Amino acid sequence: MVRGGILVKHAAFNTSLLQYLACPLSKDPLRYCEKSQELVNDSLGVAYPIIDGIACLVPSRGRLVEKLPKDPEPDPAAGR
Amino acid sequence: MTLASELGRSSRCCLSRVGVPVAAAQRLATRAAGEFSASGDEVGDKNADVFDRELKSKQRDRAAWFMHESDPILDTVTENLLDRLEDCKRMFPTALNLGGALDHVQRMLHGRGGIERLISMDTSVDMIGRSKRLAAMDGVTGEEAKRSALENMQIIADEEYLPFQAGSLDVVISSLGLHWVNDLPGAMSQCRTALKPDGLFLAAMFGGETLRELRIACTVAQLEREGGVSPRISPLAQVRDAGNLLTRAGFALPTVDVDEYTVRYPSAMELIEHLRSMGEVNAVRQRSLVMSRDTALATASIYQSMFGESDGTIPATFQVIYMAGWSPDISQKQPKRRGSATVSFQDLQTAFPPDAFSKTSDDPKSTSTTKSITELASESKERERTGHNESEETSRTTRLPSGSWFKLD
Repeated sequence: MVRGGILVKHAAFNTSLLQYLACPLSKDPLRYCEKSQELVNDSLGVAYPIIDGIACLVPSRGRLVEKLPKDPEPDPAAGR
Repeated sequence: MTLASELGRSSRCCLSRVGVPVAAAQRLATRAAGEFSASGDEVGDKNADVFDRELKSKQRDRAAWFMHESDPILDTVTENLLDRLEDCKRMFPTALNLGGALDHVQRMLHGRGGIERLISMDTSVDMIGRSKRLAAMDGVTGEEAKRSALENMQIIADEEYLPFQAGSLDVVISSLGLHWVNDLPGAMSQCRTALKPDGLFLAAMFGGETLRELRIACTVAQLEREGGVSPRISPLAQVRDAGNLLTRAGFALPTVDVDEYTVRYPSAMELIEHLRSMGEVNAVRQRSLVMSRDTALATASIYQSMFGESDGTIPATFQVIYMAGWSPDISQKQPKRRGSATVSFQDLQTAFPPDAFSKTSDDPKSTSTTKSITELASESKERERTGHNESEETSRTTRLPSGSWFKLD
């Protein structure tokens, strides 16, 4: 049943979670990229999406990020 | 295709573009793939693929809409589980809530165990959305000041790939969430790594006796109608394996206890509906994808005839195994080193002679105190043969492992 009446505001990702979260595959700490709304694992080159303010850290949802040498970081890390 | 193999493939493609020889590229690819499973036995056995996890998350999506506010089984189990938090004097500020009865844990926590931050985790998007709405509702209506003092956070993740840094959590609570996990030892071992030293792991899982009646009825109906059997009930952990699971995952001071609940339903259809609303429907990979109406009706009628009560209702058993384990820490009691004993069994026999406990003091051998265990055993056998005068007292005597009789009072 749809719960009528309560509108959940589109919440931003809670950055205090970053101190607990890690990549599900290699357990490395993650970097929050605010522009693309993703949590990036730089050492493996995988980015996990954040949907509606909820991080989706399932390996099958990870997006491969091309890690070529001398590639400038795509976005400045906003919340660290 | 799994992420591991895709990564392997893409790194191979990258490197071949740059001009690295193919052999080296392949080695790198296998290393990348191996990295994911190389973290010791934490990730575990990838070949155990009993359950279809994607299907399970879709079923839980549906259940998120069907589920009622309060469900008798989920409420009872969650209440029992959270009660165990009050048995410890310690405070656990950061808690992880692994899937299953997510919002029940959230709702019934009431600040027990000193939990300040509750991170709820599930593979299903809608379940997490439901948990978020519950948290938002508390904020809006302001009920239960204790509940809104709890900081709620949600993530979507898989129990088999736990996305937490080592030593970051104080307590992991899983209320009926681990019985659909493929690699249970691996998942529990990752929980142990994610816990701080001396952190608590509390889990409630369905045990082997759950839905025993339904299992029997399904098997009989399928044998009659279809001539073969396909798994309709998921394989569940046995009680004897629960302790092994905890020790294999590396938990110290493991405790396991079992509870059985019998719920009555008007018919088998209501039972199935209830299971659907809890998200507990079949997700075993090897299941037959077709169930004919004949078989379904036959199952219901067999259930009724074999297990039906006098008032027409049918019982269903839910056996819940509660497991608790602590992540190792030097502050915990350790077993003594082998060979460090200071007291021998002979001394024990001297200090506590077996006959000192029995009320019948007419035994001629009661004076001698140091006896070997075999002597005691033969004594008790003689007493068994000749001791009819003790027969009226046998209801109140019990036998010690050493063979001597101990009088209960």
